[in-house]
Amino acid sequence: MQYKDYYKFMGLSRDASQDEVKRAYKKLARKYHPDVSKETDAEAKFKELGEAYEVLKDPEKRAAYNQLGANWKSGQDFKPPPNWDEGFEFKGGGFTGSDSHEFSDFFEQMFGRAGFQSPNTGRKTTEHLRGQDSHAKIHIDLEDSYRGATRNISLSTPEMSAQGELHVKHRSLNVKIPKGIKQGQHIKLAGQGNPGLGSGEAGDLFLELVFNNHPLYRVAETDVYLDLPVAPWEAALGAKIKVPIPDGSVELTIPPNSRQGSKLRLTGRGLPTKVPGNFFVVLQIVLPPAKTDQAKEIYQNMQQTLGFNPRESMGV
Amino acid sequence: MSMNPNDPSLVHTGTIIEDEPLTLGQLCRACGTHAEWVISLVEEGIIEPDGREIRFWRFSGVSLVRVRSAFKLQHDLGVNLAGIGLALDLMEQLETLRAQLNVTGHF
Repeated sequence: MQYKDYYKFMGLSRDASQDEVKRAYKKLARKYHPDVSKETDAEAKFKELGEAYEVLKDPEKRAAYNQLGANWKSGQDFKPPPNWDEGFEFKGGGFTGSDSHEFSDFFEQMFGRAGFQSPNTGRKTTEHLRGQDSHAKIHIDLEDSYRGATRNISLSTPEMSAQGELHVKHRSLNVKIPKGIKQGQHIKLAGQGNPGLGSGEAGDLFLELVFNNHPLYRVAETDVYLDLPVAPWEAALGAKIKVPIPDGSVELTIPPNSRQGSKLRLTGRGLPTKVPGNFFVVLQIVLPPAKTDQAKEIYQNMQQTLGFNPRESMGV
Repeated sequence: MSMNPNDPSLVHTGTIIEDEPLTLGQLCRACGTHAEWVISLVEEGIIEPDGREIRFWRFSGVSLVRVRSAFKLQHDLGVNLAGIGLALDLMEQLETLRAQLNVTGHF
């Protein structure tokens, strides 16, 4: 088990006042809140913050934690000294963190488990309660929405044993991804949420769809965009070009005198939703490098023949 | 022949809630909140159900996401209703801007 330095995590000195603890918590909670923060490890940090605050805001837990001494370093292998909690009373309950079942081993060793209390004071199993609905995100590729797919997802569900102990159960589930699903839509799986108590039925599982970033395509609602590199002569003279789309490829006609950044629309070839989205090809003109004498000569010819000034509108 | 719902090879087909929107009761259950609180979110204009009377209210996936975020903002940060509305709107603007950046390809 590793020691956790709650003061260091919250940026506090060990003699910080309760008001300072509270202020630091509020500030960091805003910083790491998973709904607000885009930091990749925001969720883990937010949980750690909840755990640190759970200890430091409670004078009794804080005093017991302080008694371990200031010489421990975060991450250091740790065993609680015998009778370290003598004279302190940590009653079940009093835990305010909603995710307290996800607190660290360190916290559990020191202060016990939160949420579910010991079997003799806890709920009787004769009670029947519907399980809670649960939520998860499911990441799919753009192609999955074009074709429909089956995806396997891993879930961890907290479950209570007959002895009233909470443990996390891992399971996996095959889920059908219907064709034409959009980013942000939800699939509801009835009865796949948290198990009920007694003979209570299980809750439902809500899966929020998230598209993985695609190396070629970008998605906005039901429209799909592709940056298509074209040669200067293709843009200038017009061309028929083979273009990849998520469910195959199409022949695209590029009109003569197309400009850099021109958008060409393939109607109805976006996401196959009820009203299908459009597919947009954005032209990106790529210049061949003037590396050889011949290539240089072609550019020089263009310069002399075309008399082209790209900065004409700037008056220079 | 009955199927075992725990069979690992079984493929589960769900419903898309945008096709079958949630009632007030279903939304509350999904978010673990009280109906009174969800009603106050509607009154504050934070979520907008289809249907005029409460018993005909239907909520989309957008409402589901907003109610869950609202609950966490209140529970974790102590934000009040007006603040929740403001925070969610600003977060939505941020998302829209990010999506636009993604489409134009400029980062």
